[in-house]
Amino acid sequence: MKLLLVDDEKDFVATLAERLALRHIEADWATSAREAEELIKTRRYDLVVLDVKMPHMGGRQLKQIIEKQLPGVKTIYLTGHGSEEDYRAGVAEAEYYLLKPISIDDLIAKINDALSR
Amino acid sequence: MGNRPIPEETGLTFYSKISASISHELKNALAVINESAGFLEDVTLMAKKGVPLDPGRLGSLAGTILKQVQRANTIIKNMNRLAHSLDEKQAAVDISSLLELMLRVSDRIAVNRGIEISSTTGEDPISINTCPFFLETLIWLLLDLSMDTCGTTKKINVSAKRSGAGAEIVFSGLMELAGSQADELLNGKTAPLLHALGAKLRAIEEEGRLIVSLPAGCPALP
Repeated sequence: MKLLLVDDEKDFVATLAERLALRHIEADWATSAREAEELIKTRRYDLVVLDVKMPHMGGRQLKQIIEKQLPGVKTIYLTGHGSEEDYRAGVAEAEYYLLKPISIDDLIAKINDALSR
Repeated sequence: MGNRPIPEETGLTFYSKISASISHELKNALAVINESAGFLEDVTLMAKKGVPLDPGRLGSLAGTILKQVQRANTIIKNMNRLAHSLDEKQAAVDISSLLELMLRVSDRIAVNRGIEISSTTGEDPISINTCPFFLETLIWLLLDLSMDTCGTTKKINVSAKRSGAGAEIVFSGLMELAGSQADELLNGKTAPLLHALGAKLRAIEEEGRLIVSLPAGCPALP
């Protein structure tokens, strides 16, 4: 499996990718929608983990762009604390809508579950 | 303001928006701390299996945690200061300091909208006697309007200066103020606040500026 993690908190996303690598899960990371768009031009991913609120372009808008480039890709939203509207829309749009902070075991369980659907 | 109380929802909307933004920021800080602590746990388990520890990486993780603790502490200090602005209906307020607080607590909202807000204030305090929470609510409404009307430049400047015995706050860079729904807001939500503060608001649409003039003391509150 190959993942793309997108979150504007660099210390968060880089460390999460490092921890996933220790568990033999390959994950690239980006700190903006623009960086993510560059990555998906040349790489394929099975699942993307997106922050909902990011400067310039949030995860919900980015998801639409990613799906055009990578049809069938699974999505998990991972956010600090969204509005009720974000929550309702996120649950409807993605495999999971998760809140930070999250234990890495729980995240991996959700990733595996999403990929098995 | 006895005859024209500000609608409860105006103050509550301001406070809830800022609280939601602050809680989001705190969650982000906790998430970074959580991953850093988790990584320390990972390398500790690996060290027990004979994998050597990397002191440089450990130092970097400690630095990250300390930075996030400071970040969370600053967020909580600002939240606490904002919460205590309801302690007194009227108080002596340094406009520069209050403006700085408002820009800090609004920062995440602006960043998420891709907007850069700069401020220009002098070094000397600009002290007036006013209603802190009403003034904060008014500044928030005008910041929100400024973010809606700054156009593609996405840059706003907020400045404060002494004006006679009172003070003046100017929001500039509002390139799309003309033709916006500004009148509706200015005549609706802001009117009771302006009345309570004894303040005046001018919109100079062709220059993309909003100017708030505040008196040295606000009208007596019940």
